[in-house]
Amino acid sequence: MSILLMAPALLLLLAVFLWPIVHYAWLSLQAQSVFTGLKPVPVGLANWERLLGDGRFWQDAVQTLRFALVSVGLELLLGLAIALLLHQSWRGRGLVRSLTLLPWALPTTVMALGWRWILNDPNGPINGFLELLGLPSLPFLASTQLAWLAVVLADTWKTTPFVALLLLAGMQMIPADLYEAFALEGGRPMQGLLRITLPLLRPYIFIALVFRLAQALGVFDLVTVLTGGGPASSTESLALYAYLNAMRFLDFGYSATLMLGTFVLLLAAALALVLAQRWRRASA
Amino acid sequence: MSSQPCHRSGSRLRISLVILLLLWSLAPMLWQLYSSLRTPESLLAGLAGLGGGWTLINYTAVLQANPPFWRYLLNSSVVGALSTLLTLALAIPCAYSLSRRGGLLKVVVGGGLLAAAVFPYVLLFLALLQVARQLGLANNLLALCLPYAGLSLPLAVLLLQAAFADMPVELEENAILERFTLWQRLRWILLPLMAPSVVSTGLLVFLFSWNEFPIALTWLSRSELQTLAPAMARIAGSSVFTVPFGPFAAATVLGSLPLLALLLIFQRQIVAGLTQGAIKG
Repeated sequence: MSILLMAPALLLLLAVFLWPIVHYAWLSLQAQSVFTGLKPVPVGLANWERLLGDGRFWQDAVQTLRFALVSVGLELLLGLAIALLLHQSWRGRGLVRSLTLLPWALPTTVMALGWRWILNDPNGPINGFLELLGLPSLPFLASTQLAWLAVVLADTWKTTPFVALLLLAGMQMIPADLYEAFALEGGRPMQGLLRITLPLLRPYIFIALVFRLAQALGVFDLVTVLTGGGPASSTESLALYAYLNAMRFLDFGYSATLMLGTFVLLLAAALALVLAQRWRRASA
Repeated sequence: MSSQPCHRSGSRLRISLVILLLLWSLAPMLWQLYSSLRTPESLLAGLAGLGGGWTLINYTAVLQANPPFWRYLLNSSVVGALSTLLTLALAIPCAYSLSRRGGLLKVVVGGGLLAAAVFPYVLLFLALLQVARQLGLANNLLALCLPYAGLSLPLAVLLLQAAFADMPVELEENAILERFTLWQRLRWILLPLMAPSVVSTGLLVFLFSWNEFPIALTWLSRSELQTLAPAMARIAGSSVFTVPFGPFAAATVLGSLPLLALLLIFQRQIVAGLTQGAIKG
């Protein structure tokens, strides 16, 4: 009976999540591209050998990881600060909370288009401001040094509210008398943050970290609209590279290999995170 | 909380921090609003062109484009609403039976749902596209509900399962004694009590479907079928407008307004859904 109730949902879940992985495993052993007339032809491990020697794949892997670590790190710091601010009680807090959530709720492609205009060289407002100060304008989206930071900025702007909300929810679970007792014993507020808030918040920080890292490692929408992966592939992510292989180069076999390769890297990252957590707990 | 004298300087600091926070969150959107109302000449004049040059020309350009911009908003709304209904219809029975049993199955399904909820789904797009082409579902707006429901299920089931688990067992036992069928118990007893969780879950699914990009981008090639997210990317890549930033900004504003309204009306439910999802899941 209960299996019957679950069956429709589980079937759709298997079709959407599991089947693609199985299909990629098969497709990564085939050549299916314009050269084969878009028909699958078995090629053994050729796609995987190509992946291991593909400088662009590894460059994208490094770029994606760099983007994920830097932006999630920034989001945690900023999110913590915002959560602390929203945790205090003051008038209008509810309205401020929902207004700060706006960047998170907007479609990524909408705000990416907005950032393109804000970061425009030389007509965007940031460069207009630099000009007012007598500084030279900066080619935010055309320089290989600046473009990835622009992507980090736009992502931090968009997803920090999510992190802040999670941490805020965690803070509201901490009983207030802990702080009162701490203050009675002469503890200072700053010490309370380090000794009470942060340790008790650790599970929430961990959840936010896992969610955000996984999403950031799959970054696609933002990069596609903000930079298109450029300049000179300096902001290209793994997902965008796999997308280009399928939709632009029509090389489906290799695209599937890239997706599965990215999946393996994700698993490795998840495993590292779990092991780090275990090790912390064992040593504590 | 208290009326200690040291709180006065504290509240001044807090006010400046709140203003800073609002600036950080809203300034980019306000700049879009401002740009959308400016003539092309004043946009190119940069900050020096702050005076004069107000216009609605950008909005008429976007709304009279082919297809008009409201079409994308309509498409997104239809797909969002149907995906939400389909997801809830599948997730509610699944969550119910998951919450009413223990053992290995629950652990396996729960773990799988958790992993799927975190998985960056963009990696699935190629396989899903190939299925869609084989089944003739490409360029079918309503067919998008299938992958959207599938991708939303992990979070939806986890959220609703937690809500079911919070319901007291006696409530249902009494209803069974009264010979209520399962459907009656769900419809008249459990779901009304869980309404807040159902609404939060539905809102999160709606937001996801409204904002989804890679699948909509690859499934729909006919521009009049496109949803908002791929339409924005197409507008970004097109060179229809000579000075495109005004129309871009108008499109951003029009694309943001429905969500701003949704957020202001349902902020409590959205916040509850988001935090519950992370804490219980």
